[in-house]
Amino acid sequence: MTQADGTMKTEKKPFKPERITSAKTTQWLSNNKQLIGIFSVLILLSVFFSFSTSSFFTTGNMLNLLQQLAPNLIVVVIMTLVITTSGIDLSVGSILSLASALIAVLLSARWDSFFAFVFVLIVGAAVGLLNGYIISYLRIPPFIVTLASMIYVEGCALLITGGYSISISGSSWLMSLGGGELFTIPVSAIIAILIIIIGWIILTQTRFGTYIIGIGANEESVRRAGVNIKKIKLFTYMFSGMIAAFAGIIIATRLGSGSSNVGTGFEMDVIAAVVLGGTSLFGGIGTMLGSVIGVFLIGIINNGLTLMNVSPYIIQIIQGAVLLFAVIVNTYFFGRNKKRN
Amino acid sequence: MNDIPRIAMKDIKISFGSIQSLRGVNLELYPGEVLGLVGDNGAGKSTLMKVLSGVHVPDSGSIVFEGNPITIHNPLEAKKLQIETVFQDLALCDTLDVASNLFLGREPVHFFHRLIDKKKMHALAKEELDRLGVVIPSTYSAVENLSGGQRQSVAIARAVTYQPKVLIMDEPTAALGVKEVRMVLNLIKKVKETGVSVILITHRLQDLFEVCDRITVLYEGKIIDNRLIKDFTMDSLINSITGEVKEAK
Repeated sequence: MTQADGTMKTEKKPFKPERITSAKTTQWLSNNKQLIGIFSVLILLSVFFSFSTSSFFTTGNMLNLLQQLAPNLIVVVIMTLVITTSGIDLSVGSILSLASALIAVLLSARWDSFFAFVFVLIVGAAVGLLNGYIISYLRIPPFIVTLASMIYVEGCALLITGGYSISISGSSWLMSLGGGELFTIPVSAIIAILIIIIGWIILTQTRFGTYIIGIGANEESVRRAGVNIKKIKLFTYMFSGMIAAFAGIIIATRLGSGSSNVGTGFEMDVIAAVVLGGTSLFGGIGTMLGSVIGVFLIGIINNGLTLMNVSPYIIQIIQGAVLLFAVIVNTYFFGRNKKRN
Repeated sequence: MNDIPRIAMKDIKISFGSIQSLRGVNLELYPGEVLGLVGDNGAGKSTLMKVLSGVHVPDSGSIVFEGNPITIHNPLEAKKLQIETVFQDLALCDTLDVASNLFLGREPVHFFHRLIDKKKMHALAKEELDRLGVVIPSTYSAVENLSGGQRQSVAIARAVTYQPKVLIMDEPTAALGVKEVRMVLNLIKKVKETGVSVILITHRLQDLFEVCDRITVLYEGKIIDNRLIKDFTMDSLINSITGEVKEAK
């Protein structure tokens, strides 16, 4: 007991007056140094392309870029949530294809725009729900489950189109989703920004978002806190399917046609953007802003190099190299993407 | 000390296959007391505590809680009786901040119950930690950035926010530094002062002499010693743990 009195003194240190705001700021900075890093790369690249091509930094090109990236920006939001739970959804590309094909078929069959729109969203949500059910209630790993649905959903898309692209005619409100403009800004870009803001609020300000992060960090502890983690995962995958379908409608109405291969490789672009942004593939760490910057980084590399007349094959090689480089930097310089405990 | 025990376990028996893990255990726990539960590996400490926290259901025996006979079938029922357990793995979400961990599953909400009231949550967390004398740089720190002792303190503080009548702690001081152990032991004393009955499982015998009122020794599924702390010396305790005393009843 004597040694207790000796060490008690350390305990009686005066309580440091707490400055929550500054602690919060330093915490944010240390959590987001990676975000600052990738944002700097984005700015550097933009400056580089602005000087090396005359057409890069023009309003026209920027708006065009926004419109092209809108579907990625929309799907990256939900993919960030999925990956933060330490899951993955490989089926978004196929769902996007199916949705674009289905909306084209339904509109050709003279369905009302609204009903066609809602029906396609329901189909997407149903695929996501099935994914989520198998993942959370039957406990099959998300990679396998969504790989399988990626295959069968693409099969469905091929089946209903017969492999052809189906053109969409008419000029309903639906067409303006993909091609419309509001004060010269593409409607799809405005929708994307809204979805990003909603996604950010969900991830950082709601119970649902907290449990998504918690599930990625330590599923068991969230379960022990009395949270229905199965339901949370189920809903996450359901929204993933629904939002992918929504992005499919946007692409179809922009291109004026639906086809079964429009989403090929789409899921990889989105996952790459999420990882570039700093969200951990092992879950527990998710950043909406990072994912958005990731989409722009991939998009700008593609756009800028295309404007510089670089061969698309070489662009693809560069994109892969950038992703690899970013993941290595993230792991070794920022200590992210490592399995904890 | 009050005469009515908060918990009285009588003749608890449980077997797993052919192994009889608890062979008729009687254990009493009084309000506001810290009971040290010791025994060698495999003596049945953890099994006994899992009976109390609802993880295992005993084959026979009875539990009386504040004078009423009860049965605990699952962890949720134990929680409803205000029996909280801090397991060795702590069950913290490393990437969430301290306040989120403290209020996981019952975050204060505002804005039509849609958004977490973060200001309120952090204020409540700070209040709770200050009350328990837990020193943590900020409630905004992610738990992964805390020391082992701080993490343990957060886990204990979380259990305390459920206002338990009984708090079971499994090896709270294992793998901690000297200062950290002190921090956790002081926290246990604070918790005790609030009237909570604490059951402390530990291998660090010196900790027992610091915080416990009474020590119960399990040996091969039976209680072989149960005395107030003042009747123990380190040597007599070690003799009990190794089974070198006659059953004291």
